[in-house]
Amino acid sequence: MSDQLSLRGMIPHLALPLALAVMLAGFSAVEPRSLSAGNLLNVLEQSSYLIVFTLAQTVVLLTRGFDLSVGMAASAVSVAAALAAVSFGGGAGVAVALLLAGGIGLVNGAVVALLRVNPFVATLGMLNICLGLSSTLSGGRPVTGVPDGLTTLFYSGAVLGVPAPVLIAALCTGGLALLLHRTVFGRSLYLTGGNPRAAEVAGVRVRLTLIGAYTLCALLAGLGAVMLTARTGSGEPSLGGSLTLESIAAAVIGGVSLRGGAGGVTGAVLGAVFVTALSNGMNLTRVDGNVQMIVLGVVVVAAVALDRFRGSR
Amino acid sequence: MSVHLPSHHPQPQQFSDRLMLAVAGIGLLPLLLVALVAVLALTEPRFLGAVNLLNILRTASVLAVVASGQMLVLIVGGFDLSVGAVVALSSTVGATAMAGVAASGASPALAVTAGCAAGLGAGAVVGLVNGLCVAVLKVSPFMVTLGTMSAASGVALLLTNGIPVYGLPDGFVSGFGRAVWLGLPSALVVSVVLLGAVAVMQRHTLAGPALRAVGGNLQAARVSGVAVRGWTVAAYVGCAVLASLTGLLLTARIGSGQASLGGLNMTMESIATAVIAGVSLRGGAGRVEMVALGAVFLAVISNAMNLSRVDSKAQLVVLGVILIAAVALDELGKRRRVRV
Repeated sequence: MSDQLSLRGMIPHLALPLALAVMLAGFSAVEPRSLSAGNLLNVLEQSSYLIVFTLAQTVVLLTRGFDLSVGMAASAVSVAAALAAVSFGGGAGVAVALLLAGGIGLVNGAVVALLRVNPFVATLGMLNICLGLSSTLSGGRPVTGVPDGLTTLFYSGAVLGVPAPVLIAALCTGGLALLLHRTVFGRSLYLTGGNPRAAEVAGVRVRLTLIGAYTLCALLAGLGAVMLTARTGSGEPSLGGSLTLESIAAAVIGGVSLRGGAGGVTGAVLGAVFVTALSNGMNLTRVDGNVQMIVLGVVVVAAVALDRFRGSR
Repeated sequence: MSVHLPSHHPQPQQFSDRLMLAVAGIGLLPLLLVALVAVLALTEPRFLGAVNLLNILRTASVLAVVASGQMLVLIVGGFDLSVGAVVALSSTVGATAMAGVAASGASPALAVTAGCAAGLGAGAVVGLVNGLCVAVLKVSPFMVTLGTMSAASGVALLLTNGIPVYGLPDGFVSGFGRAVWLGLPSALVVSVVLLGAVAVMQRHTLAGPALRAVGGNLQAARVSGVAVRGWTVAAYVGCAVLASLTGLLLTARIGSGQASLGGLNMTMESIATAVIAGVSLRGGAGRVEMVALGAVFLAVISNAMNLSRVDSKAQLVVLGVILIAAVALDELGKRRRVRV
């Protein structure tokens, strides 16, 4: 928190909103529709999914970790939750989603914290396992017939005009902000990522913190998976394809450090909105999908290079 | 001297300790591979068929070349997520150039040369960008190569619109890609030569120790006069060139340039292979012979699962478990050794 008060701490918080504004202005010059209220609301709603996944990724990134399995875990959770919801109703779907997600996170955390396997490899292995799980459960086809209750609660519903996905993303953001800055667990995440050995000496229960981080990450990804399942009304084995890399890109663009211990909720949310707005703007200005991939790649590299430059000053 | 003297050597007390030491001496991977092959030879009559064995080796050889490039980058403490995309890029760029030159009426030899140069050049440019961003701009290798992966596969798709590029000279496809040399598929021969070149480079040139020094201890390497930046860039370029060569080999075999070759899957497999082969993700260690063994190991496992009709989805789960188990065993072994 304290570094947010210094000028250097402010720079990351100003640079990204500025870049976002410049980008929106640029898109609106080419395509006036992109600044319409309807489209901005649309961008916000679209962002809410990526926000949840980026928050998930952020929790693990803070500990100097990685979770390559979030996307595939989301696929597996989506399929399993849809199957349960079709047979036993929406409540069972959500319960299965959280149980499966929690289990995946626990295994990731245990493998990283207790077996000391490099997070990249541990979650890469889990990625394969989840991929196998989701395609076996679904047979490669979408699981349709998800009850309407689930769709209303997580997608089409609204409170005071705020769409359900935006509300859920806002609740997650607020909840995670409180958790990171007001609880021992939250501070432990930063300490563990900043310097694991020092954290250990200072009495932080590093292993438990790591297990908690991967579990929380998977639970958030599970929630994201339920939201996406509600949106399409079906369990999709192909749901998670690009989510992992997008979530890492969004978090890093938002100033969450890959070296652990630095970054926060605000940056993660802004990063997710930035990535979504970029893709929305390119869609509206009819940029070819393949060129979009190139642009995203360049943006990611530029963002990290800038981050590094800031850090070295 | 039949007097019984208490030994001053620290004797391993338990069988499990002795086993760990033996395993540490030879390495777990060759032992596992021998055991696996023995079990398969006894239980599955089709396994030892010449066609099946050649099939395994051909699969393994492609993976081994990409993984040996990945190894170079891992040794300097980096990562390369872009290798799969570079395979696709070199395939599409190479095939487009080759087909274009061939269509303009030039001799097939010129077309093949131009195509290969274009494919290798495109790959090398990606490697150069990766290396410069990591070594000079000090950007995290994960993010740089994530970005270049996205960009390279974007270019490959943009160039071809996802449609295979045909029109390659016959000499390249049937004369090279599908040729049989000394009774072996050409791709296998080329791969063995490439792996041999990497092995010679690692053992008999300055590159081996220099790369290990950069990855093992950056400060020490710098102080002792190793050109850290140069070697880092070289590792990324070497990795991209090996991936490009794989792309061209695959292009020659299937007879067309395709943007769907390689991909993230190949990247992940190359990292898995290197890790199973004991290449450290913290940098500073890794041998190409072991990487080749790792590739054979994975190919044998996948072949065994195919022969015994294990579902392809379940195979993914098995690969994931093997990957985690390999690294976990490695970690546990290290801790054990420190204690003994």
